[in-house]
Amino acid sequence: MTLSEIADGKLAPRTGIKLDNICKRYGDHTVLDDVSLHVEPGTVTALIGPSGAGKSTFLRCINLLERPDSGTIQVAGHTIEPGKVVNNKDLAALRSTVGMVFQSFNLFPHMSAMKNISFPQQKVLGRSREEADARSMELLERVGLKEKANQPPGRCSGGQQQRIAIARALALDPSIMLFDEPTSALDPEVGLEVLAVMRELAADGMTMIVVTHEMQFARDVSDTLVVMADCKIIEQGDPGAIMSDPQEARTRRFLRAVLER
Amino acid sequence: MTWLTEWAAYLPQMMSGLGVSLLIAGVSIVAGYPLGLVLSVMVSARNLALRTLALAVVEIGRGAPALVILYLFYYGLPKFGIAFESITAACLALIWNSAAYSSEIMRAGIQSVGRGQLEASSALGLAQRHTFWRVIMPQGMRSAIPGLMGVAIQMFQGTSLAYAIAVPELMKSAYNIGSQDFNYLQIFALAGLCYAAISMPATWITVFFEKRMARHA
Repeated sequence: MTLSEIADGKLAPRTGIKLDNICKRYGDHTVLDDVSLHVEPGTVTALIGPSGAGKSTFLRCINLLERPDSGTIQVAGHTIEPGKVVNNKDLAALRSTVGMVFQSFNLFPHMSAMKNISFPQQKVLGRSREEADARSMELLERVGLKEKANQPPGRCSGGQQQRIAIARALALDPSIMLFDEPTSALDPEVGLEVLAVMRELAADGMTMIVVTHEMQFARDVSDTLVVMADCKIIEQGDPGAIMSDPQEARTRRFLRAVLER
Repeated sequence: MTWLTEWAAYLPQMMSGLGVSLLIAGVSIVAGYPLGLVLSVMVSARNLALRTLALAVVEIGRGAPALVILYLFYYGLPKFGIAFESITAACLALIWNSAAYSSEIMRAGIQSVGRGQLEASSALGLAQRHTFWRVIMPQGMRSAIPGLMGVAIQMFQGTSLAYAIAVPELMKSAYNIGSQDFNYLQIFALAGLCYAAISMPATWITVFFEKRMARHA
């Protein structure tokens, strides 16, 4: 069985997501200026760009951790207009379709690895404890951390914590996964463990949107590369093509800075 | 007679006083902390009336000296036809005191829980009540433990105020013994030792917990 077959329990249909005209301001300060992005089912989108470009904010707008001021989000048959009132049904649908992995893992430190993964399943999906634990074990095994099941996150390395966090998100059967700089808090070597899990997930056809500075990963794994700068998407398309022949001067400058490190 | 033989003679009577002190401290903690938890949640309630009420209870409890509250309960309330036994009044005053102090410590504990925990919970789609009770509270209370232990020690020492309304606690016992033989020096030294015998080990345990928490933070 592949990771995403376990992840989506072969039930959740592959889903894309359409974001249109997303705008976000904090007071006078514009963070997202009319950003639109359509993600096809089963594809991997890598979001790169200089810091302050709005990548993370955009990603966080997708599952409404940040509330955009205007724009529309279409996902799994729901159309959400975050600038207006969002009803709980739409919000719940969005959150259950979209899983998220954070830079700082954000595991629950007072629960074992297993409980971290099982507890949301019980509360959000109403699974029994046995059902939830069985699924948690499957996922821990897939991310190579079965032996950590009863350990608290504090006893796990950063790479292990991030893999547990991925398992926690997958346990809720999302059809789309968001990754917010999942390896930025990790040693390069440890980051590889996490990237390996993500590669496998991508190979299994999970729809993924990844904010990252890992150019190798973006080039190898993503189907679409999206470059953000100054609150906008300035370029998007085939990762190989953009990296070898960027059309925008801003992209060139950014890529040179990143690749020449 | 040396001090030691005197102390040995006084000890049984002192022990009954110590028992009363521990009882009052115990009641004020067992009843005060849950009340403190309720207050700590209420002060951040959306409802203005609830919030104001909680804030008033907390600020009076922390702002007024415990002795003032004690006198209000014991001497003040009978004006309204509400009379308490002295020990009951002492317990009520200290419950108020411990609820007020513990609520602030618990509130700080809750606020110390990282924003990332809230974000992860909402991203997972957890309901607010599950997020609060299962994610935020356990972590907030954990970091509040050393502070709460500190308040418990303070409460125990605060029971000495009950002497002022003739509750037969440790200080009152000491005073009674002292007034028989006028051995005030010996007897109050013994009283101090009795308080220290409880407070100091309790402080060590608190420090131990603080260090442990710091290590596992």
